[in-house]
Amino acid sequence: MNQIWAIASNTFREAIRDRILYLLLVFALVFIAFAQILSLLTVGSEEKIIKDLGLASISLFGVLTAIFIGVSLVSKEIDRRTIYTIVSKPIHRYQFVLGKYCGLALTLLVNTVVMTFWFYLILLFKGFADPRLLLAVYMIFLELLLVTALAILFSSFSTPILSTLFALSLYLVGHLSWSLNLLRDRLSGGAGRWVCRVLYLVLPNLEIFNIKGEVVHGTALPAGLLLWATLYLAGYGLVVLSAACLIFQRKDFS
Amino acid sequence: MPRMAVALFLGLGLAAAGTSALRVEDLRAGQIPGHHLLYLPSGKYLKAMTFGYSNLAADLIYLWSIQYYSNYQIADRYDYLDRIYRRVIAELDPRYIDPYLVGSMIMSVEADRNDLALRLLDEGIARNPGEWILPFSAGFLCYNTLHDPARARGYFEKVIRIPGAPSVAKRFYAEMFNRLGDKRTSLKYWSEIHETGDSDYVRRVSWLHVHDLSIDVALEDLARQVGAYRQAKGALPRRLKDLVGAGFVPSLPADPEGRDYLYDRATGRVSSQSRRLLESR
Amino acid sequence: MPPVLEISRISKSYRTSFSLRKYWILRDLSFSVEPGEIFGFIGPNGAGKTTTIKLVMDLIRSDGGTIRIFGRSHREVGTKARIGFLPENPYFYDYLTAREFLDFYGRLFGFSRAVREAKTKALLEKVGLGNRGDRQLRKFSKGMLQRIGLAQALINDPELVILDEPMSGLDPVGRREVRDLILSLKQAGKTVFFSTHILSDTEQICDRVGILSKGDLKAVGKVSQLLAHEAKFYEVTFSGLSADGLPGVESVVSRDGGETLVRARDEAAVRALVEAVLRRGGTLKSVAPQRESLEDLFLREIQR
Repeated sequence: MNQIWAIASNTFREAIRDRILYLLLVFALVFIAFAQILSLLTVGSEEKIIKDLGLASISLFGVLTAIFIGVSLVSKEIDRRTIYTIVSKPIHRYQFVLGKYCGLALTLLVNTVVMTFWFYLILLFKGFADPRLLLAVYMIFLELLLVTALAILFSSFSTPILSTLFALSLYLVGHLSWSLNLLRDRLSGGAGRWVCRVLYLVLPNLEIFNIKGEVVHGTALPAGLLLWATLYLAGYGLVVLSAACLIFQRKDFS
Repeated sequence: MPRMAVALFLGLGLAAAGTSALRVEDLRAGQIPGHHLLYLPSGKYLKAMTFGYSNLAADLIYLWSIQYYSNYQIADRYDYLDRIYRRVIAELDPRYIDPYLVGSMIMSVEADRNDLALRLLDEGIARNPGEWILPFSAGFLCYNTLHDPARARGYFEKVIRIPGAPSVAKRFYAEMFNRLGDKRTSLKYWSEIHETGDSDYVRRVSWLHVHDLSIDVALEDLARQVGAYRQAKGALPRRLKDLVGAGFVPSLPADPEGRDYLYDRATGRVSSQSRRLLESR
Repeated sequence: MPPVLEISRISKSYRTSFSLRKYWILRDLSFSVEPGEIFGFIGPNGAGKTTTIKLVMDLIRSDGGTIRIFGRSHREVGTKARIGFLPENPYFYDYLTAREFLDFYGRLFGFSRAVREAKTKALLEKVGLGNRGDRQLRKFSKGMLQRIGLAQALINDPELVILDEPMSGLDPVGRREVRDLILSLKQAGKTVFFSTHILSDTEQICDRVGILSKGDLKAVGKVSQLLAHEAKFYEVTFSGLSADGLPGVESVVSRDGGETLVRARDEAAVRALVEAVLRRGGTLKSVAPQRESLEDLFLREIQR
């Protein structure tokens, strides 16, 4: 456990020193600027637009961070051979993978908290604040955790470029898996419907974490959604990370 | 020497880039930024393309549409109203209310396409049954622009069922009956409004209507009874009082100001001595 | 005492992505390293030295054979706790300072903070980086990186130290420092196994060497024993005479101006030759006994 934490905190330190925090500063400034000029552009209330933009930014920045850094975490280490002196120490390989994951999760948490803080501050200032928005941020964070796990999985066996492509593709597909259900309804054959069903269950369903619309419009959320979503993340994430650990366990570092 | 070459290349590059940028700007002057948004696919396919950011996409397209429709130099901009508002923005975020209102306003007022405006508002009403502003806008459009009290009444009926709807909706509703000639029902609703009115203004306004409608309804009733009397007895009654005696009315109503109704036994016409308070419609 | 490191019949092959043909890097390799000795693993580039070391360190898996360290499986975490390793041309997290770097590795071993601080201080001193503790690794020169790498390999006071090309890229001063460090490790009772293609360093400090070429172990054993088979000979330089007709001359090596350099087989031949040169009025320039060097052995073995 200590070793996982050693690697996790080191990963976190690396991300911080990678000057990624500057990105957050850029986010904050751009967001404020846009929020101010918004009133010039719109007819009607600017409240919805500011909220949509804020949540979308937190989500998008988070996903990009998760994918790009998540991929480089393991791939870069293998590429640059910084991994040799670590894996040869008395530490299980799975501890390395988990440590990397926790370090990145921590970085994402800090990113998300800082951005949400700025965002909420601006809303308070304008009088639009709504605590339910924090629920949306929570779900966004769950999604980030899942995307990170996928990025780490791919980077445990693939090159940085391919891993990025895989992870991005899976992110996009994850937001489209609802269309598999639509397709299934249109098909009449048994095999086709079965394939759709299986694909739908196997592919990560990232839309369940998307409650941005409901929160901004003030619609009620289905009872227990947060709980089930957390459970889904825990289960799916467990599977993905286990696979990553397994692959990493058997890997040859030539 | 190399330094001069670098300077030369830089200069050439800047000149080329600058002039061509200006030229392209000219070439595309006829096109509006984001005009390709006009050709967006509609419906579910568009939603798929936004990968979970459909609400934001709706916002951005809406912002763009405002700039687009404010640009009076684009001659054919109204060709795409239905597509942009109903089939794109409404599909991306059906619960975004502003575009329904603004879109229908542009359609009605600027493009003179009230059919599209109502279609858009119907869409919004279907997806947002709890928003009173949408059927209200539709009802007002039918009443004020189309002069179609029947349709307007249908919309206002929806409005008054929605909790939180402003009280003026009921007044419109009541008045639509009047415009359609159903003064009895109109009176009924106006009376309700008067009794439950929560401000002096409402009570005053509603009383004006109740006053006039009472007269109208009473005159209708009396005229009908006069006709019935004539049917039965073969001749017009000599006085209104005869109606009571013959059992056609239980008693003679007084007008809201307490005066009796007038009767001309030569023509059988019933009229009121009190003036209507509201202007003739 | 059992060998510290025992490699039995290790094989390693690889396939390129598009062909099914196997390329054997190592085939049936066996040797062992005894406790307390310095073992030099030498061979030309591409011989498979680094592959062997990676196999020992469980960075890659072998196709067949076994590796035992301290008599146990080389994969066990407990075994790894007793080894120190420095890879070739190492890359480290360059955003860390030297102190943070060693602290991180200390944490991987589970040392407490007090222990880590003490060890870090001692190690930085030991490798000569005592006043660079707070500098980021990205600012280190190659020599300094090598030194911090050694520090990391020693942080757990290992019984077996494995170094892959520890002297590569260092200037002569740096090389000497590494040599001295390795000797001091031996004095402390540790076993050192290192690979190199620089022979002069090896000759001075190794107890035993193994010569690897094209995945095969050509020779292994004590340096003195390996070289003992080689006959000594002498090189004699003189001038003022031609070499023709002189006794004891085995071969003429060179003629340069008036000086002739010849080879004589043994002491008796040298005596006969020297007396003849002096008698005939020539000038004796030098008599130098030559042993065949490790380099000669090496070059010969890799030809086989």
